[in-house]
Formats: sequence, C-alpha cells, structure tokens
Amino acid sequence: MTSGDPAQPRRVDRAGIVIAALLALLAVVLVWDARGLQSAAMYGMGPEAMPVVVASGLALLAIGNFIDALRGNLPARESTDPVPVLLILVGLALLIAIIGFGGGFILATSALFVTTSAAFGRRAVLVDSVIALVMSTLIYLAFDRLLTLSLPAGPLERLL
Amino acid sequence: MDTFAALAHGMAVAVQPMNLLYALIGVFLGTAVGVLPGIGPALTVALLLPVTYKLDPGGSLIMFAGIYYGGMYGGSTTAILINTPGESASMATALEGNKMAKAGRGGPALATSAIGSFVAGTIATIGLAFLAPWLVDVAVRFGPEDYFALMCVAFVTVSATFGDSPIRGLTSLFIGLTLGLVGIDKLTGQARLAFGVPELLDGVEVTTLAVGLFAVGEALYVASRRHHTEEKLEPVRGSLWMTKEDWKRSWKPWLRGTMFGFPIGALPAGGAEIPTFLSYSTEKRLTKHPEEFGKGAIEGVAGPEAANNASAAGTLVPLLTLGLPTSATAAMMLAGFQQYGLNPGPLLFAERPDLVWGLIASLFIANMMLLVLNLPLVGLWVRLLAIPQPWLYAGILVFATMGTIAAKPSVVELSMLAGFGVLGFLMRRFDFPIAPVVVGLILGPIAESQLRRALAISLGDPMTLLQSPISATLLGVALIALLAPFVLKGLGRFKPNED
Amino acid sequence: MFRFPACLVGAAVALTLAAATPAFAQQLELKLMAPAAPGGGWDQTARSMQQALVASGVARSVQVTNVPGAGGSVGIAQFVNGAKGDGNQMMVNGFVMVGALAMNKSPVTLDQVTPIARLTEEIQVIVVPANSPIKTAQDLAAAVKADIAKVTFAGGSAGGVDHVMAALFAGAVGADAKKINYIPFSGGGESLAAILGGKVTAGISGLSEYEGQIKSGKLRAIGVTSEKRIAGSDIPTFKEQGIDLVIANWRSVVAPPGITPEQRKTLSDAVEKMVKSDAWKEILKQKGWEDAYLGGDAFADFLKKETVRVTDVLKSVGLVKS
Repeated sequence: MTSGDPAQPRRVDRAGIVIAALLALLAVVLVWDARGLQSAAMYGMGPEAMPVVVASGLALLAIGNFIDALRGNLPARESTDPVPVLLILVGLALLIAIIGFGGGFILATSALFVTTSAAFGRRAVLVDSVIALVMSTLIYLAFDRLLTLSLPAGPLERLL
Repeated sequence: MDTFAALAHGMAVAVQPMNLLYALIGVFLGTAVGVLPGIGPALTVALLLPVTYKLDPGGSLIMFAGIYYGGMYGGSTTAILINTPGESASMATALEGNKMAKAGRGGPALATSAIGSFVAGTIATIGLAFLAPWLVDVAVRFGPEDYFALMCVAFVTVSATFGDSPIRGLTSLFIGLTLGLVGIDKLTGQARLAFGVPELLDGVEVTTLAVGLFAVGEALYVASRRHHTEEKLEPVRGSLWMTKEDWKRSWKPWLRGTMFGFPIGALPAGGAEIPTFLSYSTEKRLTKHPEEFGKGAIEGVAGPEAANNASAAGTLVPLLTLGLPTSATAAMMLAGFQQYGLNPGPLLFAERPDLVWGLIASLFIANMMLLVLNLPLVGLWVRLLAIPQPWLYAGILVFATMGTIAAKPSVVELSMLAGFGVLGFLMRRFDFPIAPVVVGLILGPIAESQLRRALAISLGDPMTLLQSPISATLLGVALIALLAPFVLKGLGRFKPNED
Repeated sequence: MFRFPACLVGAAVALTLAAATPAFAQQLELKLMAPAAPGGGWDQTARSMQQALVASGVARSVQVTNVPGAGGSVGIAQFVNGAKGDGNQMMVNGFVMVGALAMNKSPVTLDQVTPIARLTEEIQVIVVPANSPIKTAQDLAAAVKADIAKVTFAGGSAGGVDHVMAALFAGAVGADAKKINYIPFSGGGESLAAILGGKVTAGISGLSEYEGQIKSGKLRAIGVTSEKRIAGSDIPTFKEQGIDLVIANWRSVVAPPGITPEQRKTLSDAVEKMVKSDAWKEILKQKGWEDAYLGGDAFADFLKKETVRVTDVLKSVGLVKS
C-alpha cells in the first residue's frame, strides 16, 4: 500500500488507480447485466434505462478518480495494522460458516465476540468465551421465548 | 368546537391512573424491544400487539401507542450509542448522533432526540387533529411525476453529506445507486444484478447496508488504527444534560424537522427517510457551527429525530382519513384498530369519534411518558460506552449481526453484511463519505419507479413532468437549489472587497 | 405402539417410537414456515394458525419460522430441500407464490410440495374514481377495446394477483392482454392515492382494502371477481355483467414432499380440525379474512389449475419467457 506523503504530493496514487479501475469494471457489469433485460410490453421507460444511466455516471466518476489518482491529490492516509482487521474478518467468516452449517446462533455469535475482542487486544480467550456464551444464550432465550422469533438453532440451542 | 370537546374527552380517558400505568408499561416494553437491533418500530409493535389484547379497549389503545413511540425511540438509541440504526429512518440520526456519543456527548444527543421527538410528536399530533381532512386532499393529488420531482429535490440536498470532495461524494452516491438496482425490477418483475442468487431478488436491505457500513466498517477501521492512537471513549464529557447552549441550538431544528416530517409523512409515498435527510442537510446549511458537522453537531441529531417522529404522526393522516397504511408501522396501527373490528377509513371519524380521539389523546400521553421514562435512563444508556473497548466493539458486532440473523437468517445476507463492512472499512480508509451510499440505495429505486410510472401513464411523454404544477414547482426548487451555490459564488466574485 | 404390552417394550424404545410416529393429533409438535418476513400476510396466517392449532388442542406446540425472500422463492426452496419427508412441518403460501416462482425461474415448483388445504381467500375488485365516466364493467371493456394503451390500471406488484387479473380482464373482453398498461405500485396505499387523484383509469385490489372508500362514495366499484354476488353487497360481479372473470387471492398451507399418506392424513386432519375450531373463526373475524377451506385432493386439483392459469397469463403479458 502506498502512503500519501505530504512532502511528495505529485506522486501517482496506486490505490486510487485501482479504485478507478473498479468503478469502470462496475460500469461494465451494469451494462452487461442490462443487456439481458427485455422491456416487454411496457409503456414509457424500460428496466434497462436506469442501469445504463448509472453506468454512465460510474464511467465518468472512474475517469474523475483516475485523474485525481494521477495527480496524486488524494487525502493523506495513515498506515494500518492488518492483523486486527483480519482477525475480525475471520470472526465474521466463522459466524457465517457456523450459521451455514447449522451450528446455531450461540456458537456463531460467541465466535465473533471472542475474535473481535482479541482483535482489540484482549488475550483472555477463556474468560471472553464464557462471557460470550452467557450473553448469546441470554439473547437467544430472549428472542426465542419472549418474542417467539426463531434464531438459527444448533446443538446448544436444542439443549435449552 | 367539536374537535376540542372530543379531544378533551379523549384526554380525560387517557389520564386515568390505570391508563397512565398502561402507557408507562407500553413505553417501557416498546423501548426495551426497540433497542434490539434489526427490530424496527413496526416489528416491535407486531411482536407486542398480543400483549394488548387482554386489556379493555381504552387501556389497550393507550398501551399500543406507548409501544409504538417506545419502539421508535429505541431505534434512535442504538443509532446514537453504537452506530447501528434499527431502521432507515434513524440513519440520519446516526450520522451526527454517534459522533456526539464518541465525543462524550451521548447524554445531550439522547436528550435532544427524546425531547425533539416529544416536541415534534406533539406538534404533529395537533396537526393531525386539525389539518387531517385538508391535508389528505392535497396528499392525494401527488402523482408519480410529483414524487419524482420531490426525489430530485432530495437528490440535490444530498450533497450536504458529501464532505469536501464532490467527486468522492458522487462516487459514493453512485455506488449506492448501483446497489439500489439489485433485485427484481418493481415495474416489470425482471431480475437485475441478481446473478441467479435468489436471496438477491429482493434487493439490498437498507438496514443491512447501513449496519454493515456504519457499525461493522467502523469496528474494522478502529481496529486497524489501534497502534496509532488508543481511542478512548469517555462516556460523559462536560454535562450529561443538555446545556443552555444545546437548548438554543436544538429548538429551531426541532421545529424545522417537524415542518419537513409531518407533511411529507402525510404523503402516501412520502416515507420518513426523505424528511430526515432534508432536515439534516437544512441544518447543515443553516448552522452557525458548520465546523462541527461530521464531528457531532447537535443540530444534526435534533432535526432528523424531530422529522422522523413528525413523519410517523404524518402517516396517521392517510391512515385515519383514508384507511391507507402507508408504512409498515402504519400497517401495524391498522392491526391495532382491527382488534375492535374497526376499519379506519373515511367513515371512521364520523362513526367512531371516541376511538379516533382516544387514540390521538393516547399518542399525547405516550409521548409524555416516553420523556418521563427515558430522560432518567439517558445516564444509564451512556454508561454502556464505558465498557472496555474490546468488549464494547465485540458486543457491537454481535448486536449488529444479530439484527440480520433475526430478520433474514441466510448465509447470503450475512455475507452481504460482512462485505458491506469491508466496503465501509475501505471507504473510511480512502476517505470516501459513507452516508451517500445509503442515500443512493434509498432514493434511487424510488426515483426510478416513480419516473417510470409517470412515463407509463403518459405513454412515454416526458412533458408530463412539467404539466403537473406540483412537479414543475418542485423541479424549479431543485434547479434553484442546484444552481444557487454557483450563482452566489459568481456574484461574490464581482463584489468589491471592502475590507 | 399401544398395541404392544408395556412389559415387552422398554421405555426407551417406546419413547423413540412415540417421537417417530405421532399417532395422536394431540401429540403434534409442528414447525410452520412463513416464507416471508415477520408482519406480512403469510406470517400473520402462520401465526394465526399457530394460535388456533394450540388453542383448539390440535397440536401441543407450533413453532413459526420466517424465511423471507422473493415472493417465497427462497422459503420454498429451503422447505422442499430441508424438510423432505418430515411429517411435522408445513409451510404457508398463496397466490403470489405461483407467479413469483414462475417469474424468478425457481428450480423448485409447487408440484413438489404436498398440498394440504386452502385456508382463506380474498375477493378482488376493480374500482374507478367517483367522477369517472366509466360506470360499469362494460364501459371499462369498451374503453379497453377502443385503445388499450390509454387505459391505465393501478395495482400491486408486477406478476401479483392484481396484475394477473388486469390481463385476465383484457383477455376476457377480447383485447390483447399483452398490451395492457398496468402500473405496479408498492402497497395499496400508493395505488389508492393514484386512483383517487385521477392519475390512472382504474384500480385493482383486494375488496377489503378499498371497502371504506367505496362505502364513502370516493371510489366506484365496477365489479367483483366472486362467482356469486357477495351477501349484502350491491356491487355486481363481473360474471353477471357478462365478463368471465373469476379470481381470488387465496392463502393455503402445504407439507413437504416425500411424506407418507398417513403423515399427510394426520396433517390434513389437524388442519381441518383447526379450521372448524372457534379459535380459528374468532381469528378470521378479527382479521377480516374470508373462510375458503378446501382440503385434500380438491385443493391439489385447484392448485394445479391455478398454476397453469397464472403461468399462462404471465407468459401472455411477457413476464415469463415461454
């Protein structure tokens, strides 16, 4: 990652160019998707008009962002620490996987709680796990029993 | 005057001690359930409605009103405290409200939101009592072309959320517009940008996007910068209560928010989002403290919250006079009426004035109870922010995902939430404003379908937009609002510098 | 299992058997899926069933789950794949699902589920503003025949019951259904405003939604879609005006594929008992729903016919590619 150094404001911003490219790509996807639509039996404007308008806007913005990036006049950025971000993302991935494979609400949210807490610098995994399990069990009971809204159930929930 | 007598009678019923107790219980339950993420006011009312079945009609109605207002206020509380708006209408509140909470001003933010809701709710309820029949005639004249013109006004004012760079703001807005295209096209039933995934056919849920961008994105961003600055949250800095200055800065936004919220809420397709954004951008333009916007300006909480509440009262206009439930919450109100085998509609005011005025009186009382219950709770709510950072953010993430799990427990929806979280993180990192994305998602689809409806009715003739006087006026307003800053700048250049 | 002397069968075996074959309705522990978000019509139907099934003693417990998405397409896919052969699960569905499955090219269809019963239905109506020159269904038919593009119909979502009905109307009066100018609105509120404001020629909706306006004289009902005139109502049916248009927005309940005939009978009996209970009648009254119970093979037949009819209409208006 490039870090914008205020001392050299004219340097090309590589991240900015990637952003511009992504916007252009998005515009292409929109037009490609809109081509598959049929404006059957409609009076006035068809379903493909708006995607094309949005795509044109995105294309123009891609150019604008590209020019900004070439000139290097993007706001300065501070360096980031990728480890905590990855930890939280792992937590979210765990949550989705546990829900997806029927592990239930309590395990899933506990996993997210513990990884996030670790990402913010805590190392007491065991204590956090206990807190997470108690909290998510209480939430589960509140939703399931009091509000009769069913959250995803897994092995733990079936014990309750 | 009839109206006064009827209202007085309704009041007399509502202030009986037992009924006051019901109101208090209703407000408490509504707030308690409303703060749960993913559970907006409509669902809160739906879930708690059975509780009211067991009471006599008067008590049931009043508890119902309490639940309704409690649910609304609960949604704003999470928006302010943990940046997790429970529904799209409290999104504008989160913008400044959460910044205030982070700066140790959560107390005043919650207070101005509660008092603003009260003021707006009261004024709007009075408006409901006296203006409903007249207002509804105007509201019904709004056709698709007029709604489209109203959207144009809203789009112009969106720029208030753009930050310093128009290119970046527009980029965010267009990402939102793109997301708004996802799903089944409302007018032809064809799928756009769904790529064969059935879960995408219903489009992107506003709350999923808002919670992903705001709450998850922020947690990622804060985590990534921990090594720079240990962000320390002080739950209370300065006064827990609104200072004299806060009052001075709040009362006008309350009133202006009400002026936006009530009439637009009364429009059958008006909704609560547009008035809250209009209020936000108005306050941003009018404020004497523009430097505070984006860092936690109290006007940015006071205005949108008032607008939100006033629009909720506004939706009662078409509900009571036409029997039109124009929002999910209003549909639940309808369910409340049906408990007594009543169908709101043009005949309701004539046939059962006691119930109508009973309800309106109950709304007054419930509004008051909300204030009584929640102002003392502000201190407690704010202390939540004193939880150590790892637990606080872990808790926020659990709460944020829980809303999605409760509403749509699918892997696709959760992946979208996580994806929007990453998007929110990257946008923060590369300094793109967040709010326009959500605004684009909300306004884009409405503008598109209203325009296409208008064109279908006129068989493709775009002149229909100028032939309607309402639409022509609104388009004129939008054009002026768009050009005014440039013109003023231009004029400023010719002015000789007198200093 | 009660045929066996208790001494021959261990308690544990008896328990497992009891769980596997719910021989008595009182022991039913049902799971009921509402393929929609909490609060909507299907959800309310499911929760009302839950209430009535338990209150009338037909089932010991009923758990409602919500699987929202795309007019039920997401829910039915999960139901057909996840509940296959499970005699303790049911799903609520209705007219809208038929069109939604066809339009969304769903790989799962209603042929795959086991029909149990139709529960409720709502009669549809066409209305015009009070000051409209159109007075009868024949007036509207004449207008449609004269210039179909200029007759705008306001109603609910594309491919829903209102849309299908507009196409059926055009077809029934001999116009080209493909050319109807149907304008979908989200929710009855918005379309009603468009009708009252005179922005569109006519509006289509469930009768109850416009009842207040019709009674107060702001809207004129030019016809209802029931077979016979509704008792105590002075709105003529389309049939008596010489237009063959009979349609209703129905809601029903189905079971998963692959269940045994006994399981199907248990569920059908349970639903029939529920429909006859006072608790259910009380709920129908409270919600203003019309009882339209149709059980067993008659419902299976009905479901097949509706599926064919709706799919044909959607093809004719170009919403489903043939």
